[in-house]
Amino acid sequence: MIDIILLFRDALYGSLVIGLACSVLGVYVVLRRIVFVGAALAQISSAGIALALFLSGLGVEAFGLTSQPVALSLIVTLLAAMLFSGGTRHRLPPDAKIGMAYALAAAAGILLIAKATAGEAHDIFLSGNILGITRRDTVVLLAISTPVLLLHAVFYKEFLFVSFDQETARTLGYSVTRWNLLLYFTLGLVIAFAMQFAGVLLVFNFLVLPAVTGLLVARSMGGMFAVAVGAGLAAAAIGFSLSVPFDLPTSPTIIAVSGALAFIAWLIRLAQRR
Amino acid sequence: MTTLVRFDGVTLGYGRHPVLTDLSFDIPEGDFLGLVGPNGSGKTTILRAILSTLDPIAGTVTRAPGLRFGYVPQRDQVDYGFPLKVLDVVLMGRYDRIGIGRRPSAEDRALAVSALDHVGIAELAGQPLSALSGGQKQRTLIARALVGKPNVLVLDEPTTGMDLVATTQILGLVRDLHERDRLTVLMVSHALNEVANYVERIALVDEGQFRIGPIGEILGEEVLSHIYGIPVEVASVGGHRIVLARRASGRVQMHD
Repeated sequence: MIDIILLFRDALYGSLVIGLACSVLGVYVVLRRIVFVGAALAQISSAGIALALFLSGLGVEAFGLTSQPVALSLIVTLLAAMLFSGGTRHRLPPDAKIGMAYALAAAAGILLIAKATAGEAHDIFLSGNILGITRRDTVVLLAISTPVLLLHAVFYKEFLFVSFDQETARTLGYSVTRWNLLLYFTLGLVIAFAMQFAGVLLVFNFLVLPAVTGLLVARSMGGMFAVAVGAGLAAAAIGFSLSVPFDLPTSPTIIAVSGALAFIAWLIRLAQRR
Repeated sequence: MTTLVRFDGVTLGYGRHPVLTDLSFDIPEGDFLGLVGPNGSGKTTILRAILSTLDPIAGTVTRAPGLRFGYVPQRDQVDYGFPLKVLDVVLMGRYDRIGIGRRPSAEDRALAVSALDHVGIAELAGQPLSALSGGQKQRTLIARALVGKPNVLVLDEPTTGMDLVATTQILGLVRDLHERDRLTVLMVSHALNEVANYVERIALVDEGQFRIGPIGEILGEEVLSHIYGIPVEVASVGGHRIVLARRASGRVQMHD
């Protein structure tokens, strides 16, 4: 069994990197109650890939962006992240804006890929192919995730303050808009790269469930980050190890393990309260 | 007496829509000012202008050099779902002094414990914020405002949602901080009767009208009746002022 798992070790390493990066950012996603920003950004990222494939099929080059679906996807995702990071003093409620973006991006992705040349062959870009992660892909994921995680480690207290109490942060001279923009930018960056390998659903899972697991059992921010990272890595490792030898679809297996870990955390919380 | 904040012909609003016009007043050092008005009257707008988080549409707001505010936000602006310990929350009041990208030092932690001690809850430093009562949460936020050594303590609706005991204790603590530490205090509230017995001056804001002055001057029946547009009576019970709105039948009801 281990031999079979080792055969896909590059994919396992890639999954662990995605699990690690998304679990850390997921703490802010869950605490700030913006879980659907994660879903919407992942969906927008996939629509960006579909747009690149569609334009490429039409022979449109757009400064070479259409031959690099990931580049166009990244640009679209970061633009959306900037839009979502804006203030709440608008006529449209923030959740309505996010819901609208999610629905439109999902529909656009399907429509564009349906009309793209050899669209069926590109479906894999939208749903992800976690087993197809190569060593090079893992290096790319690490190259993106490492600076993002370092940035979050260095500016932990700034991200925490503007997430916990924006108004007070503002009175102490913090540029809440800029910190929010940076937070959403890192979120968009990680999602855009993770999306190509993990797909919308698995990225969404890594952004939400490990952080929820952490929130259920941790009594401090450090504890929440530690449990979230542990749950994300464990879900990736266990899910991967179960799916390969038992011939199960990998992403749903990882998500099922994430769910099981969150359930265990909930039971622990119940036991703590008694 | 040094003027800490000066409003000079200030018009405030959002976008191009003015909410309050031609505001002119001072907040001197050592003041204990209550900014009172119903919800939606513009209190928070004035507060934001004082705190420099809202620029005036017209006029000027001048602040004394080096002026530092200790801000206690409304309770619903803080998310108690974060798994933060009380000490972590208080430390936030020093974040700007610590500097971007730097971690709190042992001295910062000692100051945070001292601020908690100052508001009477030092023993709760290691407790999760979510486990505290409403009054304890408010004391935590006051400690956070104090730990940065402010010139002015600003409290936005500090007693909303609290019972009588917690309200009395919090307002008593604020008065102690003013009297004991000679701290300038600005307290924003919709509850005139709560504020009236603690502050030294009152700024009343309602439907675009603004009136500021010593408590004895503003809490006159004629002034209040003019501002609120209904007959108002000011009663005294056990040395406490109570503002009552006179009903058409001649009976009175309490004005919150």
